[in-house]
Amino acid sequence: MPQDPRLGRLEGVVRVQTASVAAVALVVSALLAYGAVTTDGFLTLANFKAILTATSFVGIIAVGMTVIMLSGNLFSLSLGTTAAVTAMFFLYALQFGLGLAIVLTLGLGALIVGLQGIVVGAWGANPIIVTIGAGGLQEGVALWVSGGHSLLPPTGETSYLHLARPVLGIPFGIYVFFVLAVITEAVLRETRFGRETFLMGENRGAARAAALPITLITVGVFAIAGFCTATAGVLIGAATANGSLLLSGTYTYDAIAAALVGGNAVTGGRGSVVRTVIGAISIATVSDMLLLRGYSTGIQILVKGLIVVIVVVLMNLGRIWNR
Amino acid sequence: MPVRWSQLKARGSLRGLSPFVILSLMSLAMALLPQISSYEVVTAHIFDVMQNFGTLGLVALALGLTIIAGEFDLSVSSMYVLGGMVAVLTGAHSPVLGVLAALGVGVVVGAVQGGLVAALRMSSMPITLGGYLVLVGLTYTISHNKSVAYSNYDVGLWLDNPIAQVFSPRSLISVALFVVAALVMRYTRIGRDVRAIGGDRRASRTAGVRVDRILIGVFVVAAVASALPGALLDYSLASASPQIGLDQLTFSATAALLGGVSLSGGRGSPAGIAAGVLSLSILQELLVIIAAPMYVSSLITGGLLLAVTIAWAPGLGQWLRTFGFVKIDEDDGAELAFHGVSESVQEKQEPSA
Repeated sequence: MPQDPRLGRLEGVVRVQTASVAAVALVVSALLAYGAVTTDGFLTLANFKAILTATSFVGIIAVGMTVIMLSGNLFSLSLGTTAAVTAMFFLYALQFGLGLAIVLTLGLGALIVGLQGIVVGAWGANPIIVTIGAGGLQEGVALWVSGGHSLLPPTGETSYLHLARPVLGIPFGIYVFFVLAVITEAVLRETRFGRETFLMGENRGAARAAALPITLITVGVFAIAGFCTATAGVLIGAATANGSLLLSGTYTYDAIAAALVGGNAVTGGRGSVVRTVIGAISIATVSDMLLLRGYSTGIQILVKGLIVVIVVVLMNLGRIWNR
Repeated sequence: MPVRWSQLKARGSLRGLSPFVILSLMSLAMALLPQISSYEVVTAHIFDVMQNFGTLGLVALALGLTIIAGEFDLSVSSMYVLGGMVAVLTGAHSPVLGVLAALGVGVVVGAVQGGLVAALRMSSMPITLGGYLVLVGLTYTISHNKSVAYSNYDVGLWLDNPIAQVFSPRSLISVALFVVAALVMRYTRIGRDVRAIGGDRRASRTAGVRVDRILIGVFVVAAVASALPGALLDYSLASASPQIGLDQLTFSATAALLGGVSLSGGRGSPAGIAAGVLSLSILQELLVIIAAPMYVSSLITGGLLLAVTIAWAPGLGQWLRTFGFVKIDEDDGAELAFHGVSESVQEKQEPSA
């Protein structure tokens, strides 16, 4: 069969990449299996729940981070801050009733991050720098409005506690995480907006030449990220019932790590939310195993970083071999 | 009157001059403050500005150099914190040994990160993000999650001893290294090559620039330049803390961009970065003088970073023209549209196959 020689090369790239991904999966599974068997208390239902609990908040933010990454806008360096800010707002807004508080919080998240999308999409500003700057602004406004005090839910208000309670023995956040992941994946795969997002991530020049509404897509992508982050914000607010900027913790970097470890291309165009879900669960599993084996927080962060580097390197090796 | 924004931008005159214009305005503001208000400005305030230059100036230079080379080292702030921790832990008996250990760690970190970026020909963002996490984890691990005290107070006192009222050995070390960096970038082939690989990686490879060596060199210099001020600051404070925030990265990025470094690579100079650092340091000192609440500082730094990013964004001229804010110029339009495409982040990567 006559074939474009470039196609054969492409197949080669795909084959080697598939092979390298398979190799990674094999090595990781082997390590995890070894760890699982030799770590006391790892193969228990309680620990399984602990892993899922640790995954949920980071995972929800990571879903939003993935959409930004796939659209070719690298990542946001302030989604963790947005999560803290929306958690604070949620606790404040509870005085208007639970339903309205949730709606307002999700809207606020989509607005805050969507606005950053305008700057990135319309003017081609660097997303990393824009999100760092926007993070500073959010911190400033949050400190200003809150007067530096922690935000507590209104006295006597208990409705939000439902969000922090497990359902059928599994944390509520996990259900939200999976539902959000499925919906986002469906939007990316099945809608015109989703396909345009992938095209823009793969080749912005081509997307521009095809007259795609770059600004609109970018705003949409960032708004989705804000929506996801605010969803995490609601759950974090409900779980802690004490809103301050400290809640931002390490969510930003953890969410990026989850998306990268899942094997999404940082330059956009290739990847999926499913990969991020796998990445988030893998990181949580490894961290949990290290914790059970008595390793410190420092070691856990270090290993997380090593996993990111190793996965990123392996993902790119396939490309190099085909040069 | 319509402004030929794109022409100014294309010539680079605006970018080249703006850091020094901004610095002059900031200095003027500091000089005029006592005249227009009851606040006093004394030499101690200028000393503080220079101390801040000694603390974060080199981190901004480190980040700026990687941006000029067309990369972005997200790990500079973690290297800065790790550098301090290593120096305090290893320098208990000999401060020099501590600094050398910190610099040594910097060389290794830079070589690994630069080596990976060069060998894989990939974006430095994910690698240095992983690197950031590794270094943060390493700092927590070697410090056992706690602040570590440094008992040799004399070193800190010597480092912060005022010279000519406004300088100290610590700030003079930064000034000296900035001068060296400026000379190298201005007058040597290495400097030209760094800008070349940042401007057009493929063309410079074709033209015989040893891209990989330059890349590794830039990352090593960046890591070392981040580790050194971290080590010196922690000697001054007589303690090292493993805590890390976004502050150092925000400051460095803002200072580098104020200093005229272009995010699309290839443009920028150590002198400009120095002006950016000084401008931002003066601004922060002004906020201290008028005793502004902390949130004002966050708002201004964040807002300034956004403003300067937008001002240099490749698509802004196009956008302004579309909405009739500036005069339409056919030739420029074509050129700018091209810039808008070529300067967006992902196109900076070399084609994969």
